Amino acid sequence: MKTKIADRHHLIRAALLVTLIATTSASQAASAVTTTSGKRPNIIIILGDDLGFSDMGAFGGEIKTPRLDSLAKAGVRFTQFYTSASCSPTRSMLLSGVDTHLNGLGNMDEWAAPNQWGVDGYEGYLNNRVTTLPQVLKEAGYHTYMAGKWHMGKSPDKIPAARGFERDFSLLDGAGSYWDMWSFTAANPKSTFTEDGRYLKKLPKDYYATKTYTDKMISYIEEGRKDGKPFFAYVSHQAPHDPYHLPRDWRNRHVGEYDKGWDVVRKERLQRQIEMGLVPKDTQLAERMWFIPDATLLAPAAQAILGKKMELYAGMVENMDYHVGRLIDYLKKIGEYDNTIFIVFGDNGAEGADLFKMIAGTPGTRNFLFASMQWSQNHPNAWGDPHSYVGYGPMWAQVSMTPLSQYKGLMGEGGIRNGLIVSGPIVKRPAGSINRGLIHVADLMPTLLEVAGASYPKTINGQEPPPMIGKSWVKMLAGEEESPRSGQDYLAWEIFGNHAVRQGDWKLVWQYKPYGTEQWELFNLAEDLAERHNLAAEQPEKVKTLLALWDDYARANKVVLPSRVIWEGQAKQLPDRYPVVDGYPPLLYQKQFVPPANMLANPKP
Amino acid sequence: MNSIQRAADFVKTKPSQHGEEIHVPFTVRSRYLLVTTAALVMLCQMSAPAQVPPRFYWQSLSGGNAVPVIFQSLSGNANPVDPAHFVSPYISGSVDANVLVAGYAKMLPLFDRTLTLAVLEPMGRISGDAIVKGAAASQNTTGFGDPMIEVGYNLIGPKALKSIPDLLRYEPKFSLNVIVDVAFPIGEYDSSQPLNLGQNRWYGRVGAPIVWQLGPWVPGRRTTLEVLPSAWFFTDNNDYVSHNLSTDPMFQVESHLTRDFTEHFWGSADCTWLAGGKSSIDGASGKSLNNVGIGFTLGYQINDNISLTAGYMATVNDNSPTDLKMDGFRISFTYGWHKIIEGQKRLKSED
Repeated sequence: MKTKIADRHHLIRAALLVTLIATTSASQAASAVTTTSGKRPNIIIILGDDLGFSDMGAFGGEIKTPRLDSLAKAGVRFTQFYTSASCSPTRSMLLSGVDTHLNGLGNMDEWAAPNQWGVDGYEGYLNNRVTTLPQVLKEAGYHTYMAGKWHMGKSPDKIPAARGFERDFSLLDGAGSYWDMWSFTAANPKSTFTEDGRYLKKLPKDYYATKTYTDKMISYIEEGRKDGKPFFAYVSHQAPHDPYHLPRDWRNRHVGEYDKGWDVVRKERLQRQIEMGLVPKDTQLAERMWFIPDATLLAPAAQAILGKKMELYAGMVENMDYHVGRLIDYLKKIGEYDNTIFIVFGDNGAEGADLFKMIAGTPGTRNFLFASMQWSQNHPNAWGDPHSYVGYGPMWAQVSMTPLSQYKGLMGEGGIRNGLIVSGPIVKRPAGSINRGLIHVADLMPTLLEVAGASYPKTINGQEPPPMIGKSWVKMLAGEEESPRSGQDYLAWEIFGNHAVRQGDWKLVWQYKPYGTEQWELFNLAEDLAERHNLAAEQPEKVKTLLALWDDYARANKVVLPSRVIWEGQAKQLPDRYPVVDGYPPLLYQKQFVPPANMLANPKP
Repeated sequence: MNSIQRAADFVKTKPSQHGEEIHVPFTVRSRYLLVTTAALVMLCQMSAPAQVPPRFYWQSLSGGNAVPVIFQSLSGNANPVDPAHFVSPYISGSVDANVLVAGYAKMLPLFDRTLTLAVLEPMGRISGDAIVKGAAASQNTTGFGDPMIEVGYNLIGPKALKSIPDLLRYEPKFSLNVIVDVAFPIGEYDSSQPLNLGQNRWYGRVGAPIVWQLGPWVPGRRTTLEVLPSAWFFTDNNDYVSHNLSTDPMFQVESHLTRDFTEHFWGSADCTWLAGGKSSIDGASGKSLNNVGIGFTLGYQINDNISLTAGYMATVNDNSPTDLKMDGFRISFTYGWHKIIEGQKRLKSED
């Protein structure tokens, strides 16, 4: 009898549970963005690591990205999309919706300053006070998959499987070989990978990062699609982050094309951007960094070698595009493409620093010894091979960020602004259109929660979570508004001690020397996208207004400016900074005088 | 610091910590130019046994020059400096030769392809047992041999390397050249003796050297298979110890499997097959050649200008007394230069 009662209780409980799930799903379906098929849309985020603002063809790049461009053609391009100036902070905001200084990535783990050690918000990993996008989406009935770079913690409670991903194949480190498990330092010689929550002892056969990540993602979608649930797929490509490891047949598709130099390529990109309507007609290029010469002054060999770096980079982007195409083709094949939202962007500005030299550039150190053994296949003909390390340097990073100023790590627009493509069933704006709304990577959390019909939790581990800082794009994507932000809303950034705030067209920036002035600088981005004209002295009231916003941001997000920064010593290591003026000094550009032919004569005896 | 200095520092200076590391193209350029001079070095190793050394037909920068000095110590039952490899009845025993070959080579562009011009002059000593006036006697000869010129032209493969960027991007992949060699019969010759440094007849060859790149073209990892099929032609020597010596055309296939050990050190397994080339004295035919020689070569690039090679080769199917039997050591020293590199060195020495 007791057994029967117990069974009955179980049945009642099960029935209640089923009813609850059904009710929840129904309510989610009711509040979610549904497509014409009546299903909630799938979501795919394609993240390019250090992919630059102007690299994709759809943003003016000469690099051939037909698959990514096809998404732009079907969807919308955004020209005022902001990230952090660096990697893991952007990722933390993408997946939590919370400001970096609260979510654990107030500074990159690798560069945390002594006064930030042990401070909440500066843990160096995505802390447990925040929830994650995959966690919430999973609870809302989505499959959640990840393939690629994680960079937000390595211990079992911090890996993708612990932070909401049902399936994952993840590089936990910030970078590494594309061919094998080798990492960069003697103390951390091997990269750490997980697959479905288990730490990998070795990599799959025929491993190549971009290919394998795509293979894995396709397999996860294939294996999960039987139950008809929508999926959230985070394809966090390692590409095109250095080292530029690339299959041999992708390396030589642009031989000699970049010998013309960075300034020429920047001008060509800007011209295309103007023709495409991405930037105003009168847009200027940002000033070339003062320590980068005019490429036309270099010898052909230097042009060829430096150009080859960009050839490799272009190959990296094109290879990534190819594999994105494989994913697109697969979705079309299974009939899910039309029901899938694609979100494509780079995680920060393009990389102008030489990571390899920073780690292993000093002979006599153990890292130099390690690099000698594992990372010394650096003859240009070996670039792309396992054990080679090449990055393209600040001159090409500026090209990737055309027409913006500066690059990754810095507060110039080239550090924090990136190209964004959104396509799929929630986009009701004209196909191929361009939007200039002021948007931020942290907006993705509220946007996708709204899309999925999920809501931000009121408590996490019994505590109130930090607030999301983003704003949903759903209305903007539907064409109901131009921007999720009003003219009074502001965005603010801080990383490595550099900081900035933007409200409307105005941006106030403070940066360490030599990249900045260690003074507040004011720019009007509507009129001066390249940030060439500091208006701080002319607009003291605007400075004051923006300073107040910065203070508000810093207080609200508990910003701790670092006591040590990566810029230390830079002013002494670099040449003195003077304005770069094209064609100066004329001595370098004056050509051979050719006298009139009819006035030529031989010397008299 | 002015713009000129900045440009120079950009390509020369060591990196700062963040963002300013630029590859040092001078270093790379220098590495590639090593290849240039190495190839020119090889150009001049036309040795007495007609064994073209490995890596001989790699292209290099147009306008490059090389002067090789090659020492060879050879022994056999034929005159080691005679490319016909004639096992003469007038040679009764072993012949030893110490020969120095000096030369000059230059590469030039012609119709956008590489033209190679080289001149070689052998000199040295030959000693051996010969049959002179019907009696065996020791013979020694010294002096200069027949100078030889070679004209080579690339038909398939990369176009002429007219600039350093061309050189930086050079990979032979599959390259095919044509060559024509002609030796001038003006070397030391004593018609009363069978062993001479000069051959007293015109000779030369046409060939089609092939370089087949196997795998990546990365210094330290380069591998090539190189094959040179060629045909040698000889006019008659109508004063060969008072007889008429004629030689049929001789066919030769040389092959080398080469491999880098390090960026500057490489080795090669060498094999040569000789066929035909039957010689006749006053119409009395000798034996056609059908000989195989095997050996090896080691090469090392000392600096931008100087390279060394050392090698050994010996015939293997030489059991019969009438078979060609020969072996030899070879050491080469070559100095190569190009005006661009020399100019850079002068400027760098001012730093």
